[in-house]
Amino acid sequence: MEQVRADGFDEFVAARWSALLHVARLLTGGDRQRAEDLVQEALVKLWFAWPKVAEQAPEAYVRTVLVRMAARSAKRRWWGERPVDQLPDRADPGDVSSTVAERSRLEGALALLTPKQRAAVVLRYYEDLPEAQVAEALGCPVGTARSHASRGVARLRQILSDAVRPVG
Amino acid sequence: MDDFERDLSRLMRDTQQHTPYEPEHRQRLHAGIRSRRRSRLLWKAGGSAVAVAGLSVGLALLPSMLTRAQPADHRPQPATSPTPSQDGGPTSDSPDPSATPTEPESSPPATTTGGSTPPGGPSTTISPTPTATASESRTTSASPTPPPSPTPTTAPPSALEETQEPSASATE
Repeated sequence: MEQVRADGFDEFVAARWSALLHVARLLTGGDRQRAEDLVQEALVKLWFAWPKVAEQAPEAYVRTVLVRMAARSAKRRWWGERPVDQLPDRADPGDVSSTVAERSRLEGALALLTPKQRAAVVLRYYEDLPEAQVAEALGCPVGTARSHASRGVARLRQILSDAVRPVG
Repeated sequence: MDDFERDLSRLMRDTQQHTPYEPEHRQRLHAGIRSRRRSRLLWKAGGSAVAVAGLSVGLALLPSMLTRAQPADHRPQPATSPTPSQDGGPTSDSPDPSATPTEPESSPPATTTGGSTPPGGPSTTISPTPTATASESRTTSASPTPPPSPTPTTAPPSALEETQEPSASATE
């Protein structure tokens, strides 16, 4: 029983790991470490809910958990980082491709939004969810979710207008 | 959806970086699951221990609370029981214990109902030595009074029958 559960769970995680990590990264405004922590926590919660959720919509469950944890974690002041003597290796300037530059610009712009606005924008424009599902994931009324999304997009338009136009 | 929103949507998708699910991730995830399971078990054990401790404290305190409550329950009984037993003691033995607890409570309403028509009800029942006056005053209750009327001929148990008459008339 436990083995069947573990097999199904592992298959799901292996199939969706990359996408979940990307969503978490967008939700955290580009913080890779925080994104990995969020995905890990959300998947641990999914493991305990797996017998109930497996046959229905495990991805929706993880998405909801991710969004709420990201909104909650944005209020934290300390993340358990500890100072180190040597800085980790950074990418050389020659490695920075246009995709990486776009991603870092997008993540930097997303980081300037409030957690709710960021979550609404990511769910609406990356996950392409309808407003009702965005509201359900955020745990707020549809009008509030719509307001978060429109304000977030307006802010992003202001920040990214110079960056997105040349790409498009 | 305008151009900017379309570009934003495309940008979010294009910047997705493929990250494979490696064995390290799997090990880390399962280690997190194990630690969460352990903490949940500890929480459950702690909760049940608290519940058992609360129940045992409650059960330990229950007898002492019951013993405190018992003297308060016994207080009213001595106040009511000695007075009828002293009155009915010398005259008759068997009817007294059954009659005495009920009569002091039931007799005043019976006398008031019976004596509602004559305003001086209690006074007439207390001095029933002229039986004719009592039977005359109570014309409505004349039918029950003849059977007890032979009993007042025996003069000594007057006090008992004074109290028993209203109850008998009330029951009849």
